[in-house]
Amino acid sequence: MSLYELIQKNRDLFFIDAQTGHAVGIRSFHQSLSIDDRQGLVFIYSDNGIGSVEVLLNFLNSRFTVVMLSAQLHPSFKQNLEELYSPYYIFDAARPAVYGYNTVTVSATIKLLKCKNPPDHQIHSNIKMLLSTSGTTGSPKFVKLSDNNLVQNAWSILDYMPIKNDDVVPLNVPVVFVYGLSIFTTNCMAAGTIVCTSKDLLQPAFWTDFSKYNCSTIGGVPYVYEALHRIGFFKKDHPSLRYMTQTGGILNQALRQEIVRYCNTYHKQFIAQYGQTEAAGRMAFLPQEHLLTKAASIGRPVKNGRFEIDPETSELIYYGPNVFGGYANSPADLNTWQESNKLYTGDVARQDDEGYYYITGRIKRIIKLFGTRLNLDEVELILKNGLGGQTVVCTGINDKLLQVSHVNEQLEESTIKQALKDKLNIHPTAVQVKYIPSMPLTPNGKVDYTSISTA
Amino acid sequence: MHTQQHLQEVIAKAFGITANDITDELEYQSIPEWDSVSHLVLVTELETAYSITIEMEDVLTMGSITKIKELLQKYNVTTAG
Repeated sequence: MSLYELIQKNRDLFFIDAQTGHAVGIRSFHQSLSIDDRQGLVFIYSDNGIGSVEVLLNFLNSRFTVVMLSAQLHPSFKQNLEELYSPYYIFDAARPAVYGYNTVTVSATIKLLKCKNPPDHQIHSNIKMLLSTSGTTGSPKFVKLSDNNLVQNAWSILDYMPIKNDDVVPLNVPVVFVYGLSIFTTNCMAAGTIVCTSKDLLQPAFWTDFSKYNCSTIGGVPYVYEALHRIGFFKKDHPSLRYMTQTGGILNQALRQEIVRYCNTYHKQFIAQYGQTEAAGRMAFLPQEHLLTKAASIGRPVKNGRFEIDPETSELIYYGPNVFGGYANSPADLNTWQESNKLYTGDVARQDDEGYYYITGRIKRIIKLFGTRLNLDEVELILKNGLGGQTVVCTGINDKLLQVSHVNEQLEESTIKQALKDKLNIHPTAVQVKYIPSMPLTPNGKVDYTSISTA
Repeated sequence: MHTQQHLQEVIAKAFGITANDITDELEYQSIPEWDSVSHLVLVTELETAYSITIEMEDVLTMGSITKIKELLQKYNVTTAG
């Protein structure tokens, strides 16, 4: 069964539009939009609102390949991606018109942009969805996922996630991130109500809705839990809340203890997970009873998945039916599918005596700032372009800071911070700028990232 | 007594924009610079600048510049002039 059929099978599922309070049954979204029956790409700029959800569901039930993008993506990034990939349809509530596209009314509430001269991309029939490896850099690099990848990931999550058929689930994690998408797919298959909201948890309206609809769960990256802590979430019971989920890195020790205390006091569940876009979602989870005893562990592999540690590099390798079919850097990559169940995670790991895994480092040049994955090579390139070709080197400091090293004594710190803010919306306080007299190089002439990081 | 100008600068620093761009009408999430990340940075910056401790519940009520000013009054920080 396809993901769409599995969602439709959950016949009593409702979606609530948090903006209006309207509730819509899943059956009302079945073929609710008049869209062409053909292959092609659809760009969905999602804000997690009910419109985005309706568009997503309709296109899941079509021959189109869905490309999930953030509505908040910088306009120039949107334009670049559209020029490169020429999507057949675009859904973007923020832009009534786009050059080269006609506005088409596909339902009483939804308008799409339709390409005037659609390209004839050959798209491999396995490719159901393209997800960006990073939600913010506007990189043209996408992960190719099949319908089966998404279904397998959902089944393996449903194996351990305590989802009930009367759960009310707020979409507080953007569905353009694979984690938000997993929350969406699994709960559409097994929960009762999805609250479509573009509010975040620092807005009082989010909490009004949370109480009003008796929300059962909440999800987030460590940064979100830090914010929850800051607004006093763990100080009192939230009676409708049953369980919390987390991914995107390890919680700090103090926060972990606070969460365990909260869960014990009010009988809540907390499930930490480990995943990647390339695995269509989750690869491992840590049950709550080990949150303190196996501190800093990513847990054990999800159902139908397994891990292996490369004996030479200690790289964590995942095997499972949810592993992606390769990357797409341009439309030319859309006619291929590399079938594999093996994924090199880029993380360095160890395993303890009881079979639990721990991440000890990274092989790939990737950091997570506020839970968002940043490819340092991409950041470096965007920053170089933004600074007119200056030599800069980007490294990470404990997923807390982005360090920019440069060799130009005249280059102002504020110029670098401004460029990062303009292009990538990276907060200036998360950036550390360092002038170095000369760039350290490896014997073969490449930038020596290790010596910059440790200097 | 703190000056209005000083408050503008504290807020501008937290958001990474210039003090001139701070108006009373500015709201949370109305500009890309005022997101959940910079909101919590702002809380910390205000605490440092005015030597106050902002209550957890109040973090949620700081949804606009006007509301921030009202809140500061509650903490006996006045920003006239």
